[in-house]
Amino acid sequence: MKAAIPSGASGILSSLAESVFAAGVGFLASGILLAVLGKDPIKAFYYLFEGSFGNVTNITITLAYASPLILTALTFAIGVRAGLFNIGAEGTFYVGAAAAVAASFVHLPFGLGLLLILIAAGAAGAAWSVPAYLLKSYRGVHEVISTIMMNNIALFAMQFVVLDYLLDPTRSDKSSSIPIDARFPVLISPNLSYAIFFAILVCLGVYYYLWQTPGGYELRAVGLNPDASKFSGVNPRKPMLYAFLLGGITAGLGGAVEVAGTFTPFAIYTGLSNLVNFGFNGLAVALIGRNHPLACVVAGVFFGALQAGASSVQILGISFEIVEVVEGMIVFAVAAPQLYHMVRSRMK
Amino acid sequence: MSFDFGSLGAISVISLNFMVPIALTAIGEIFAEKAGVVNIGLEGIMLVGAFFAILVAWNTGNPYMGLLGGVATGLGFGALHAVISVWLKGDQIISGVGLNLFAIGFVPFATFAIWNVSGVFPPVSFSFGRIAEISTPWAPLSYFVPISVGVSILFWYLLKRTRWGYQVRATGENPEAADAVGIDVEKTRIIAVLIGSALAGLAGAYLSIDVVGQVTKDISAGRGFIALATVVFAGWNPLVGLVGALVFGYSQGAATWFAGVPALRDVIPHADYLLSAIPYIATLVVVAIAIGRRNAPKALGVAYKRE
Amino acid sequence: MQSLAEEALRTAAISKTYPDGTQALRGIDFRLAKGEVHGLLGENGAGKTTLSKILSGILRPTSGEIFIRGQKAEARHPKEALKLGVGMVHQHFTLVRDFTAFENILLGTRVNPKGSGAARARQEILDLSKQVGLSVHLDTKIEDLALGAQQRVEILKMLYRKVDVLILDEPTSSLTATETTELFKAIRKLKEEGKSAIFITHKLNEVLEICDQITVLRHGEVSGRTEASKADRKMLARMMVGRDVVFDLVRGPSRPAEPILEVKDLMVKGNRGEEAVKGISFEVRKGEIFGVAGVEGNGQTELEEALCGIRKPSRGTIRLAGADITTLNTGQIRKHSVGLIPEDRRQMGLVLDMTVAENSILGREWEVRFRGRGVALAWVKIRAHASRLIKSFEILVKGPDSPAKSMSGGNQQKVVVSRELADEPDFVMAAQPTRGLDVGATDYIRRLLLKTRDSGKAVLLLSADLDEVLQLSDVIGVMYEGKLIEVGPAEQMTRHRVGLLMGGVRE
Repeated sequence: MKAAIPSGASGILSSLAESVFAAGVGFLASGILLAVLGKDPIKAFYYLFEGSFGNVTNITITLAYASPLILTALTFAIGVRAGLFNIGAEGTFYVGAAAAVAASFVHLPFGLGLLLILIAAGAAGAAWSVPAYLLKSYRGVHEVISTIMMNNIALFAMQFVVLDYLLDPTRSDKSSSIPIDARFPVLISPNLSYAIFFAILVCLGVYYYLWQTPGGYELRAVGLNPDASKFSGVNPRKPMLYAFLLGGITAGLGGAVEVAGTFTPFAIYTGLSNLVNFGFNGLAVALIGRNHPLACVVAGVFFGALQAGASSVQILGISFEIVEVVEGMIVFAVAAPQLYHMVRSRMK
Repeated sequence: MSFDFGSLGAISVISLNFMVPIALTAIGEIFAEKAGVVNIGLEGIMLVGAFFAILVAWNTGNPYMGLLGGVATGLGFGALHAVISVWLKGDQIISGVGLNLFAIGFVPFATFAIWNVSGVFPPVSFSFGRIAEISTPWAPLSYFVPISVGVSILFWYLLKRTRWGYQVRATGENPEAADAVGIDVEKTRIIAVLIGSALAGLAGAYLSIDVVGQVTKDISAGRGFIALATVVFAGWNPLVGLVGALVFGYSQGAATWFAGVPALRDVIPHADYLLSAIPYIATLVVVAIAIGRRNAPKALGVAYKRE
Repeated sequence: MQSLAEEALRTAAISKTYPDGTQALRGIDFRLAKGEVHGLLGENGAGKTTLSKILSGILRPTSGEIFIRGQKAEARHPKEALKLGVGMVHQHFTLVRDFTAFENILLGTRVNPKGSGAARARQEILDLSKQVGLSVHLDTKIEDLALGAQQRVEILKMLYRKVDVLILDEPTSSLTATETTELFKAIRKLKEEGKSAIFITHKLNEVLEICDQITVLRHGEVSGRTEASKADRKMLARMMVGRDVVFDLVRGPSRPAEPILEVKDLMVKGNRGEEAVKGISFEVRKGEIFGVAGVEGNGQTELEEALCGIRKPSRGTIRLAGADITTLNTGQIRKHSVGLIPEDRRQMGLVLDMTVAENSILGREWEVRFRGRGVALAWVKIRAHASRLIKSFEILVKGPDSPAKSMSGGNQQKVVVSRELADEPDFVMAAQPTRGLDVGATDYIRRLLLKTRDSGKAVLLLSADLDEVLQLSDVIGVMYEGKLIEVGPAEQMTRHRVGLLMGGVRE
């Protein structure tokens, strides 16, 4: 395996240390915030981890939350590898979920229904990423602006689609549910399905593409130095397109995993309330995972645990969104690696 | 309701009011970017600014104190962004992402922790002894509209006509050159970030206090990002930035007005959702038409390290 | 005798160790008299730039003291150095391109270019410029000024701040012969006014021409001090390099064969839409080195990019071994047995964050020889390939897995050159192949180019280094303002003639 990772092998340990440090800073800062608001941080974090790893059921919930997160993390990670700041996973995730529900209207035997769902979600995700590519490539529009706008458009467009086309005939608060035979098969408890393996498989696939194929090599080279790549004969537009498409596919698949592989009701709530923030949280996963597809699995489980534990914290009068608060703090620490080096040199 | 001169007037007033938050945020960001620092966390600053404005106004009973609270919030989070991106030479984009993520979580989290309600406070839109408004035949026009015009002219003058403006622009164009003649690059950048963030905080306070009368967890609704797009569209000119903000204000004003047309609902149920997407689509179209990044400061987004 | 002249600036035992442990300076004692032009000579990495940055307040010494006009001084910032009367003109000018010359000169002063004191400041600057003979269009934006004019702005900027000691870092590197003459005139005028200058360079002729005193640095130490009138080139070179330098590389007779690169009436636009290459024609034959001399910024970069397919010509044709490659992109051109050595190795030649192995297949990643099963890359084969290159091109590096950014400039360039030459291409384009390299690497790469030519391949050499062009080329062309104003066999192109042509002067 060593030969397979020519670059960065020596940097793995320090990257790991930086990520752990960032997570520590995030928890410390959030703890202070909790204390300021009159909540007991120790108790809160105890409940958080009890709720995510306390027993087998909680662990399955953690892993179930992790499955879509790992996939949305890949969107950002692939983008960064190609030199892009693709933060469009959020909207693409909605689009993928809607496509998955729509595809489940077609009934197919032998698990082919699931296959169709995945294909539909991946294709829809890829298609949703094309405008950002075109705007960047031909009009010079920065992808941060275009992907965020696409997120907002998806937010409203998919609410419209759910209400007007996918609504459950018997209920007004959610879309139709995906039939049991088209869902990911259950793995342990009703919470955990084979979706987690699917997510890991996609990570392995992305890793293989980036490091073991000429196309992936070009994508990374363009990301690190577009000028040198151009001089070597690569048209930078091609890897850029692939990065957007692959990122769209993974986020779209993430949406499918959320509605076909995690919790009841295997549908989309009308306000997209069970879909929101998976894309943005995936961004934090990727940052902690140093934009490496395999490290994203580990980071995904970590953030999945935060989400799983967040419901237990609610007993203490702390809302679910504490997850994003912690994440935001962690991302600050990731943004300034020099902070870690300063602290480390002080401690020496 | 048919479309006539009165409707146009009504749309215009709504649009001008909608122009304000984008204009203030965009102009502040133009100033910060002219000094070389990009802040994609404006969306988050707006959101948190809207929250603290309500918190202060609710507890003091004074809407103007609320506005000040918004400005102070902007300064606080601007300081955080400045420390990470200027002083610690961190990644400006990632720091901005952190701001946004934090804000998404913090507002509902704090709303629940302080008032024990989820997502919206006060639960019913509240009139904080409204900020003075200019009356028009159609709808009241906020004083913030002329204030935004003033701010835009002021910042144009600051950047183009003053000694300090030259220093700010030099810092964003070529920090080595600025440093070589004794301009304190870090200080200049930090001040510029603070000014830009303060305006974003004020914009958030305007939204919660003057427009909505409450804070909701999605009150900023992408306006921070639209402001970023406006900066590019404006070619980093505060006067053009005002025009850009007006374009986006109109797209929102029109969407809001059309959503109120009952006939539309009969043809397409839930069409209001599609209409809500119009400002974002308009942003994409406008930015695509505007030519690239022609006037972007050359050192934008790059931390300055003296070798 | 030295001690008689009034002292302008003196350093005592200045040392500098960078945070990464590099010892750039070791106990430098340096003395500059009032009204003196003092040459600071040394190779790349000798410590010249570090010393000048310490004097101008950009860097702080690890130990040692600085005395200005006899007073102990400590400048922690360029601003403080300026107040003490020490100003530096950097090799890469520190000017805001978007501002006019006038705005740049006033930047950081108390005067607002749009304010009330502007008229008076303008008059002061005009007087200054007349006084020393440095004329500049004050209201032109820097980006529209030639490099020579930009340098005049930099010098005026310092003089307006009333500096007594002017540090000039490689001031002639981007000047034409005429501009250099003018600069020297201005320096002499400044001297008459009692100002002193430190002239940093590695060009022996210049230091002998303009300086009164010369200090030579090697490996961060003073390796020699002399009066310019008592020095000669050989002696200075020995001080610089630490051994006798052979100035001439042996170049055997060429055996030119048929032309392989034919350029006809080529026009190429520059970044700002101007005609950077204005209709040039030439051919390069197998078995010869065609050297293009010229001061940088006269269209060489655009010519290079057009030949590589990065920039589309607006007119004319480029044929390679008979095939029209004018409209091909880089990837297609690279299929024609070419080796392309870009002028900017760090930006164009390498992906610095990748390893040597990864860099060794840049542009060749689809070739079957680097593949395993199916589409997969075979890293075992790639690393073996990189190891072979490291060995046969004497690249100093731990191994194929070392990141390119950890290597010295010379070894980085060897990685580029080895990749481009390993497959023995029929045509090699080398742009500024030795710029910024130490003597050893420079010598190695020049020999390699000669070897390539001796094996019957064609080499197109684009270089701003006149010595390099004269040493290597069989045919020499001179580029000036986008035109190839003269082409001739090396025997007819003397140093004197090429030097004048580079400044646009025909005899």
